[in-house]
Amino acid sequence: MGSDPWSIFEDLVSDFLGWARAWKERTGKKVIGHLLPDVPEELIHASGAMPLALEGASVSVGRAQEAMPGYTCSHALGILELGLSGELDFLDGLIIPYVCDTTRNLYHTWSNRFPSKAHYFLRLPKRIDHPGAREYLREELKRLAGFLGGVTGKTPTEEDLEKSLALYSESRKILRRAYSLHRERPTTWTLRRLSSLLASAMRSPREEHLLWMRSLPWEEPGSPCSHGERVPIYLRGKVWNPPQVVDALDELGFTVVGEELVVGLRSILDGGEEGEDPWGRLVSRFFSLPLYPGYHKEPKAAMDEFLSRVKRTGASGVIFLNPKFCEAAWFDTPDFQKALEKEGIPSLVLEGSARGLSMAQIRVRLEAFRETFGGELP
Amino acid sequence: MNPLLSLKDLKQINIDYYTAAHMARQNGKFVAYVNAFTPVELLYAMDFIPIYPENHAVILGARRISLEVAPEAEKLGYSVDLCSYARCDIGSIITGKSPTFGLPKPDLLLVSNSQCGTLTKWFEVLSRMYGAPMVLIDVPHSGNGERDQEAEKYIKGQLMELVDVLEGISGKTMDPERLKETIRLSREASDLWTKVLLSATHKPSPITVFDEFIAMAPIVAQRGTKVAVDFYAKLLDELEDRIAKGIGAVSRERFRLFWDNLPIWPELRRLSEFLDSRGAALVTSLYTWAWATLAVGEEDPFQDWAEQYLYTANLHLQRRIETYVEYAKEYCLDGFLYHSNRSCKMVSQDIPELRRAVTERTGIPGVIIEGDHNDPRLYSIESIESKIETFLEVLEGRKHREG
Repeated sequence: MGSDPWSIFEDLVSDFLGWARAWKERTGKKVIGHLLPDVPEELIHASGAMPLALEGASVSVGRAQEAMPGYTCSHALGILELGLSGELDFLDGLIIPYVCDTTRNLYHTWSNRFPSKAHYFLRLPKRIDHPGAREYLREELKRLAGFLGGVTGKTPTEEDLEKSLALYSESRKILRRAYSLHRERPTTWTLRRLSSLLASAMRSPREEHLLWMRSLPWEEPGSPCSHGERVPIYLRGKVWNPPQVVDALDELGFTVVGEELVVGLRSILDGGEEGEDPWGRLVSRFFSLPLYPGYHKEPKAAMDEFLSRVKRTGASGVIFLNPKFCEAAWFDTPDFQKALEKEGIPSLVLEGSARGLSMAQIRVRLEAFRETFGGELP
Repeated sequence: MNPLLSLKDLKQINIDYYTAAHMARQNGKFVAYVNAFTPVELLYAMDFIPIYPENHAVILGARRISLEVAPEAEKLGYSVDLCSYARCDIGSIITGKSPTFGLPKPDLLLVSNSQCGTLTKWFEVLSRMYGAPMVLIDVPHSGNGERDQEAEKYIKGQLMELVDVLEGISGKTMDPERLKETIRLSREASDLWTKVLLSATHKPSPITVFDEFIAMAPIVAQRGTKVAVDFYAKLLDELEDRIAKGIGAVSRERFRLFWDNLPIWPELRRLSEFLDSRGAALVTSLYTWAWATLAVGEEDPFQDWAEQYLYTANLHLQRRIETYVEYAKEYCLDGFLYHSNRSCKMVSQDIPELRRAVTERTGIPGVIIEGDHNDPRLYSIESIESKIETFLEVLEGRKHREG
């Protein structure tokens, strides 16, 4: 590790596939990729493999468009591109969670293109308000454990899972503390640093990541946040797309006080209830997370709960990071914006896409949004 | 082109259907908005009239009113990348533009995500708009159609719970005898519809997929009523008469083609005439067959519905490939037209793989055409026709080579 304690996280994230490949060669251990939303990393870890979160949004797409139409979201096309170009050949397995029609079709296309590569379609239930969904998920997670055992040779026992849950709980606790520091001292604990910390946690062995995090300047005072200078905002979306939006938010004086990204707070919330067995805790965590747009609960309640989450954070504004062609996100947005407007909370919608996206245009829109809160731009 | 006379009955059938829906409350009935793969037999048995916002959107698309209403939804923030049925429906509600005087306000929104996830989100918007309760039948995708007993249990539990919801809204108790009767009528209509679809295996085909698209309204919306049974019985009589006399739907049938995906509703007539003038008959399609497989038994309909939504209705790529290979043989197909439909990602995203596999297995070529089921701003009909024209030339060349 160099003198800058942050560099290990940033370096890892900048070439996480290369890092994971080298780690696998070095240790001889298994690496299992997954496509993010709500794949239980603890379960993969309990099977002896390293979970590797994959994002397709920032991948430049070429060959993938021969296999799926261009009106597919950049996350799915990007993953397919990585697969077709051989970048994911080193993976021992891939888990595709069923969160929307596109993930369902990506699973089919992947199965057809790569029939001999181990992959699993994780059937996540969509009815978050239904007791039968809890029972279904519990059984589904046990099936996933069977798949993992087939890949790694070690089907996780309850004891294995307990250990992994404890490790992830500890890691998430520290990451939540980092999030608090971002809210308090956003010029030191910048969004860039925070996002690198979270992103690297999902792409490295969690035990080692914990050790690296301990060397961070946790007690350094830094410059506390002055609310007159910065604008607290809330984000709804999937991933940081384009990735440079993170730097733009830092530079323009926004502080992210809450968000629902699958690579953000959603990945570090705890939710398991005391007294439950490890399977029950995994299930409880899933059902306690903020509602992902592809899931369903009573529609008015879903909107009201979103509004409550925003208000609880004290955010002055909301940014929707909607992936292009993501029907789940786009159907919600007009009603959710209207509800925010009624509460006097301004919002901005940014459309993410792998093609034809200009960061300059996004920056101009963010600057205009920043100006609506008054004060000089930093 | 030889138009089918029975199809003329549809005008009155549709008027009666929408009038009954508008008059539901006066007649002690209730209105449920639904999508495909929901138990309409149960709804009819409990005095709920099932209404398909998708069908209403089709009417808007076929009459090109979509050009007026879809942009109104977009002005509210509904992206142009969203399903054009949904944009048309929302735009129609805002503007009041509708040949059916709109749709009556729903007492319930019932949706199954076995069809797609889009409908769930669209109905969530409608639920907030009308303050109406919504029930989602969540169908976990069964991967490649393998047995999933946990999913069967989960779906069946949701269906049983639906009965409680219907009883709560209507204040009436489900009558098992009435349910048996609607199931019987539904099965009768499905059997007749199957025979209608199979009639196209004859050469020349007495019916085209364009006719089927028009004729499918009762099997979709009125499955479980006598109206559907009577209509298909009459249509089948006409088709059998045509078969006996050797009358084809297309003037001079030269090519027999498959249509994949939903129609391009605004271009139904134009494409129908275009293909007819070239001797090309669309003889079968995935979309029309989907409605032939929805009958259930009287003994345990809840288990049957659960299995149907999980294994039959739930599109699986491998099963879809197998089915298309079977159709190729059964219908003596010359080619496949794959409609890559911007508004239906669910059915369209697999098409490149589907085409590759089907052509590999059958040797029969296919062409992908870029379209949209309801929004003429999202495609060029001239480009579509040009692509089909070139494809037909390829098929002609193959026929010459094969003698």
